[in-house]
Amino acid sequence: MTGRPLIKLENVWKIYQLGKVELEILKGINLEIALGNFVVILGPSGSGKSTLLHIIGLLDTPTKGKVFLEDQDTSRFSEDELAQIRGKKIGFVFQQFNLLANLTTLENVMIPMVFQGVPENERKEKAEFLLSSVGLKERILHRPFELSGGEQQRIAIARALSNNPEVIIADEPTGNLDSTTGQKIMETLINLHEKEQKTVIVVTHDPAIADYSEQIVNIKDGQLVSNHLVSEKVLWAKRK
Amino acid sequence: MLTEYLKIAIKNLRTRQLRSWLTILGIVIGVFLIMSLLSLSQGLKSTVLNQLRAVGTDIVMIIPGNISDIMTTMMGGMELTEEDLNTIRKTPGVEAVLPNVYKAEIMRYQGGSKTVILAGMDIRNALDIYQKDIGMKIAEGRWPVAGRKEVVAGSLVPTDVFPGLKINTQTTIKGRQFEIVGILKSRGSKQDDSMIGVDMNIYQEITGERKGAPQAIAKIASGYSVDQVAKNIKANLEEGAKRRAGQQGESSYSVLTSEAMSGLVGNIMGIIQVVVFAFGSIAVLVGGIGIMNTMYTSVRERTKEIGILKAVGAKNSTIVMIFLMESGIIGLIGGLGGMIPGLGLAKLIQAFGQVHPILYIEASITPGIILFGLLFSFGVGCLSGYFPARSAAKLKPVDALRYE
Repeated sequence: MTGRPLIKLENVWKIYQLGKVELEILKGINLEIALGNFVVILGPSGSGKSTLLHIIGLLDTPTKGKVFLEDQDTSRFSEDELAQIRGKKIGFVFQQFNLLANLTTLENVMIPMVFQGVPENERKEKAEFLLSSVGLKERILHRPFELSGGEQQRIAIARALSNNPEVIIADEPTGNLDSTTGQKIMETLINLHEKEQKTVIVVTHDPAIADYSEQIVNIKDGQLVSNHLVSEKVLWAKRK
Repeated sequence: MLTEYLKIAIKNLRTRQLRSWLTILGIVIGVFLIMSLLSLSQGLKSTVLNQLRAVGTDIVMIIPGNISDIMTTMMGGMELTEEDLNTIRKTPGVEAVLPNVYKAEIMRYQGGSKTVILAGMDIRNALDIYQKDIGMKIAEGRWPVAGRKEVVAGSLVPTDVFPGLKINTQTTIKGRQFEIVGILKSRGSKQDDSMIGVDMNIYQEITGERKGAPQAIAKIASGYSVDQVAKNIKANLEEGAKRRAGQQGESSYSVLTSEAMSGLVGNIMGIIQVVVFAFGSIAVLVGGIGIMNTMYTSVRERTKEIGILKAVGAKNSTIVMIFLMESGIIGLIGGLGGMIPGLGLAKLIQAFGQVHPILYIEASITPGIILFGLLFSFGVGCLSGYFPARSAAKLKPVDALRYE
């Protein structure tokens, strides 16, 4: 552990009721993620890793168990309070990019700041800075559909950073990209972690991405099968 | 913050332009109906009430037929006979009786010709009553002399009907030449102000209508109770009718004091307005259901977008606000789009009425009616958008994000 626990999951269950059948997606997950860590959640398709990520990112609530963010029990928060926390403290990067098609690149990056009440000038300045830092300064007035997959994912990263969150949560960020573009996206995330000390949580089924991480969480059939930290000197391929 | 949401809402509407416009059209039609009919009925009401206000309190109006069936009376061509008029004259307390006679005739003046309302006036016996009790006053020139081919014109005749018309000039009505000897002051009703008044004997001569009248006005002598004399007139008329029952069947009469007339007209117009509003509202309601349908479709289509907005920090109230703004804008534009042609149509009908004064209706376009139209359509828009907006806001971010 490199710092105080930012996120803590206590016996988290996620159960879906499909008619008379109960579908257990997560089965009693216990997990701690320290501030400033680069975490990779690995697991095969259908293992529950995306559900776990959604719960960590406060997009979903557990059926049973508790999620703590900075020692605060998140089950006590109202929907609006959760939205406020997501907007302020968590940045999301999705496999499908999830940009708003009718807004320009610049507006897409500005939108999380709108919900935090950032004044327009400041919003614009920050969005332009973030877009130029991901190499898309020339594309600010383009619509998402006019851009390549890699460019769209870089916009998504810029959007995730707009409110300067503590955590970046990425769900299969390279899943829709070719390997070269995927590599660049991962480098961007690593930079954020190394230079800006962001906590980065990446979900993937690609073990190669684990090379970048300081904490590897393996999940299978809704259960945590392993949770290793780099400091434990577990044998896996070191990055570089 | 609200400005930002408004920008987002407008952008969303623009993205679905065709659907937005079609939805707006639904509201346009409803508001168009409400606005045109409401302004016309409001105008009609104020025209008639203005006219009645000019009438003195010691005046009663006698109409054949039962007042509860006034439309049948008016449409059925029931008239007071000469005998009826004599019965009224003989009733104690009646100072004078003025048969209310008028007919649309073509008037020619300096090469132009227009249809005007020609009204017969008992200049010889009742000029005083026209001036003091009916409120007719000379603005320019003088009153016609009984028995002479002279006419007096309403205040709008020299401005609207025959612009530039002057006194001491000649006009031709039904092939006969008349001298225009006077212009009246306005009485507040465009119908009255557009009429041409002529001595009763001449009127009877040129129209051929020598006996009876569709209605009559009686002035009650001072010292008598207007209500009591009105009752007596009614009783005498009905008694007379009973005597003649063998030939004409049963008849009834309505004798209205000016106060009763104002009340009656107010009531009838009120009912007309309620009916007009109810029909128009049904049309707007259908438009509102259109908005609701569009917004529900929009929620479904934009489920993922709602998920994204929530993921990046939009509160439920923010989502509701954005959707409400979209539906409110649809309502407001629909209201504006319906109001302009609606009030335009009302004005067109008014203009048509000026050419054919028998159909004269004034279109009342007040800031109140405009504000009401806009608020009403905006309200319908917001109300129709509320439920779709609420269902959009209720979506869990994770479910919305998964939606394809």
